[in-house]
Amino acid sequence: MEGEGGEGGAGGRKISLLIEKATNSTAQEVDPRLFKAIKQVVRSSDDQVRFSVDALMEKMKKNHSQVRYLTLLIIDELFMRSKLFRSLMVVNFDQFLSLSIGFRSNLPLPPPASIASRLRLKGIEFLEKWNDSFGLHYRQLRLGFDYLKNTLKFQFPNRMENAVRLQRERLEREARAKEILIGKFQTLTNSFPLIKNEIESTIHEIGECVRIVHPEEDTHRPASLVNDESAEEFRSSSLMQIRLAALREGEKLQENSENKAVFDMLRELYKLLVSRHLPVVQDWTSVLVRVEPADTKTRDSLLKEFIDIRNNLLSLKKRCERLGLSVNIFANEEDEDIWEEGKVEVYDNETTGKFDKHGGDISLTKVEKTLIENSESECCKAKAPRRDTLEHADDSSDSIRMKKKLLSEAPVVSWGSYLDNWGTKRDALANQRGLELESHWGRVDHDAVIPAEKIAELNVQASVYKEHLGEIQPCLAPLANGSLCQRRDLKICPFHGPIIARDEEGNPINENLSTGEESEEEAISQTADFDVDDELDLQKVAEKLAKQAVKNVRTRDNEEEKKQKALKKAKVRAHNEAVLKKAAVASTSRSEAIIEDVEMAKSKKTLASMLKKKVTRKDRIAEKLLNSRVTDTAIRQLRQGEEASYRENYPNQW
Amino acid sequence: MWKEVGDREAGRIRPRSFASRIRSHRVASLQLSNRKDIVTPHRGAVNSLQVDLTEGRYLLSGASDGSAAVYDVQCPTDYEGAGLVAKHRHLFVVDKQVEYGHKYAISSAIWYPIDTGLFVTGSFDHYINVWDTNTTQVVINFKMPGKVYRTAMSSLATSHMLIAAGTEDVQVRLCDISSGAFTHTLSGHRDGIMSMDWSTSSEWVLVTGGCDGAIRFWDIRRAGSFLVLDQSQTQFGRRPPLLEKTFMKGLETRALSSGQSSANGRATQKKTNSGSGVKHLSSSRYLRKGAQRLHPGMMSSHSRATAHYGAVTGLKVTADGMYLLSAGSDSRLRLWDIESGCNTLVNFGAMRLQTGKPIQLAVSDDSALIYVPCMTSIKALEMWSGRTSMTFRGHYESVNCCWFSPQDQELYTGSNDRQILVWSPSVSYSEEVDDGNRKEQISVVPPPPHLGRRSVLWRLGFFVEFREIETCKPFNFCLEGLEEFRRIQF
Repeated sequence: MEGEGGEGGAGGRKISLLIEKATNSTAQEVDPRLFKAIKQVVRSSDDQVRFSVDALMEKMKKNHSQVRYLTLLIIDELFMRSKLFRSLMVVNFDQFLSLSIGFRSNLPLPPPASIASRLRLKGIEFLEKWNDSFGLHYRQLRLGFDYLKNTLKFQFPNRMENAVRLQRERLEREARAKEILIGKFQTLTNSFPLIKNEIESTIHEIGECVRIVHPEEDTHRPASLVNDESAEEFRSSSLMQIRLAALREGEKLQENSENKAVFDMLRELYKLLVSRHLPVVQDWTSVLVRVEPADTKTRDSLLKEFIDIRNNLLSLKKRCERLGLSVNIFANEEDEDIWEEGKVEVYDNETTGKFDKHGGDISLTKVEKTLIENSESECCKAKAPRRDTLEHADDSSDSIRMKKKLLSEAPVVSWGSYLDNWGTKRDALANQRGLELESHWGRVDHDAVIPAEKIAELNVQASVYKEHLGEIQPCLAPLANGSLCQRRDLKICPFHGPIIARDEEGNPINENLSTGEESEEEAISQTADFDVDDELDLQKVAEKLAKQAVKNVRTRDNEEEKKQKALKKAKVRAHNEAVLKKAAVASTSRSEAIIEDVEMAKSKKTLASMLKKKVTRKDRIAEKLLNSRVTDTAIRQLRQGEEASYRENYPNQW
Repeated sequence: MWKEVGDREAGRIRPRSFASRIRSHRVASLQLSNRKDIVTPHRGAVNSLQVDLTEGRYLLSGASDGSAAVYDVQCPTDYEGAGLVAKHRHLFVVDKQVEYGHKYAISSAIWYPIDTGLFVTGSFDHYINVWDTNTTQVVINFKMPGKVYRTAMSSLATSHMLIAAGTEDVQVRLCDISSGAFTHTLSGHRDGIMSMDWSTSSEWVLVTGGCDGAIRFWDIRRAGSFLVLDQSQTQFGRRPPLLEKTFMKGLETRALSSGQSSANGRATQKKTNSGSGVKHLSSSRYLRKGAQRLHPGMMSSHSRATAHYGAVTGLKVTADGMYLLSAGSDSRLRLWDIESGCNTLVNFGAMRLQTGKPIQLAVSDDSALIYVPCMTSIKALEMWSGRTSMTFRGHYESVNCCWFSPQDQELYTGSNDRQILVWSPSVSYSEEVDDGNRKEQISVVPPPPHLGRRSVLWRLGFFVEFREIETCKPFNFCLEGLEEFRRIQF
């Protein structure tokens, strides 16, 4: 017996130690490894289950919500697994409930409040779960659940009912959808002939139009084909291909004044086909696929018809596209009145090379810009001497390229009166405005001259500062809560210093290196563009690299120096603090203990630190405003004010 | 268990002791019953519970919402969870909607002791109603001067049909059902009367406990109380200190009464004890207070002795009529020797009792255990050692009343959380017995009501055997399945 008792005691100590360790943490979850260990120990024997119940209930009595919360998690785990555990737990179930849910007003849950509320929610959730799964076997569970639900009117999450309700709702929704589909199907069966007629008439019309245009083509084709066949024997394959492509180009119907009406008609019809009939057919097909009507036969037949129609339409569409209709349509759709096509084509050879990646209308605006820049750059010629020299290059293609380059680089100058005297170096007569002001204000000097320098001074181009309207980059420095700082400042974030490039986690990408590389790259690209001498370029690069290296070394040295300084400072500060603390502690032993506590708290987030209430601004203000002295004076002042006003209003009443 | 059956068969133990052994075994294994749910229709605290005294089958409950309900505790109305949980729903409920129904809380609901045709409810609306069980209508009502705290009827009475009523008023009133009038008013208390009980040894003796802390004994045939219990008059244990003069007589009477009461049911007591109780009570009184020369009727009416500090909230006379158990708002439980009128000084340990409401105590039929509502739990205390033998936890609010059903060895408790809980012996006491190669499951289950008290079911494998509880002789058997028991006709 003794041996057994000793063994039991040891076992009990082990499980209670494990539980102690598991619940002594500030985490949201129980450490899974400890969890596993507890489960393993508990599984080993019934005695262990008994010990664990005792230890867990002991923990539940702790005056700390965090401990209780973690204990509750362990209890739930064991409760769902062990029958013995359940039967032991339910014996004292009311106490357990009052400790976990805190339904008794004289035994509220202990601090911290946030975890206490979580504990309550979890407790309620678990109670419901247990009641659902084991309620039938344990009267105490039923009683507790019933009491909390029907007497105290606690809100339970209602898992089961919720699931059932969701299921029901889903079924209802599906049924409704089905009904709608069937309704659609009914209407379709009624209106099918109409739709079919409409589509067929369109198809027919398109066919007619094509036939009208086609005969012209027919005259060309045989000849070309004959040509082809005869040419085949002696031409190489590449040439052959070129030829075929040309032929295909030629085959394309060209719109001209004769068949313009037909083409317009064809375009209209095509539009109708693409924008209306095709989607309609698509829709109905999908409806037919989804619907499950009573008579599947009609459904199948309809589906077949629709698929046929769809194939028909698609083939027709392809044909139309081969006629070159689609491009025209899109052009027409997008910019009907802004730009005429002809104008675009004028600049096409210049712009397409550069802007072809943009969409149609964007390229147009670009073209517009280039136009303006063109005119301006001619005004600006004097200002850009380097370009001036370059402009005189003989090679026309070269000059065009140069021009393009310049245009892309040229600054856009806003229009102003200063442009009147752009580049002139003449003096201006001051009183030559044609108005005779004879001796009104004294003598007038008609030959007064404003010197050229003065004019230049007056006509200095005034430019209003325009804010750069690009998107301001967020700071993206990592915050304490794990997210990134979303503050947008131009250069310096008031919290995180200068805005620098950062990676996804908010760590700064080494600025120095990257910029160096960039500038190098830039230099290289520039040199490449300007076709400057290679050797010179190499030298430059070498120079730059050397500079960079020197810079790097220097910054490293600086950093080390700084570090050492900071270390020194920290040492001094620590020494000062220690001296001050010693002086303070010397007074009482109690303060010493407090300081130790504080140090402990500082070093690690502990259970005790969770209990400490955070002093908020509100608290501080309340402390200032709600103490008795302040309230008394406030009341006194108010009363005085009232009395004064009363005396003023009723001076004669005693 | 099995050994006992063998002994009984061999005649080594007496039938009566065999039965009491089984009973005490069952009583010791009481726990919250999962199989038996009483579903209450009450929307308020359950204040009073009583199982009828004739059949032991119908439970009457009175609640704070002015409703009283009756349940059949033997036959469930429906089952839940594939027969795992038997639900006992109310057979009927009377509440405010019924004509002359109580407007306010029912504080006490008791059965007419002779049969289940009548029941009596006392309420805070100053009325005592007598109801006909079959029509669920009020037959007679009595208007009281104040809130009714407790009503009681003598279970032994053969010559009167009196309801004793304790109210806010200082007087105890006796209401006669047969005439519909008050027959007596018993005055002597200085404050309202919270608890009362009739003696189980004499039909004329009534015990009342008042808010003034006094417990008074009344002989309803005379004026005034004849005994006031004083907590300072004490004796140790069961036996009173032997006085020279009473030595012989005391020994005699005690031997007589203990012999009668220990195992006999109430029925036998009724026949033999009814007359003698008062006589020797009064004789002992004369002997004790012989020195005083007062008119016998007024003897103790001026006594200001108290049994408790504060109100006496619960009174219960043991089934043998020898001892009185009282609970007070001072959170004390006292056991009194009725004969000597002394506090027996049993230390029931520290506990907390409800102070504002009358509580209903229960005593097991062999007077070994006392069931006391202690706030949210019920404690089973051993009567003579005062030790707590069990604590029943299950209620979520204060327990008001408990009732021990001696027939089924079940405990019913009612509480402020509106629940009536059943505490029953852990079902089907079973042992595995090696009988040759075969293992037999043998168990004793409580017999269905219509078989009467004299039967016990033995379950042997699939067969169920019925045996006389007294002689242990088998008299029938059938296949297992409780439904089948009911269909068998005997």
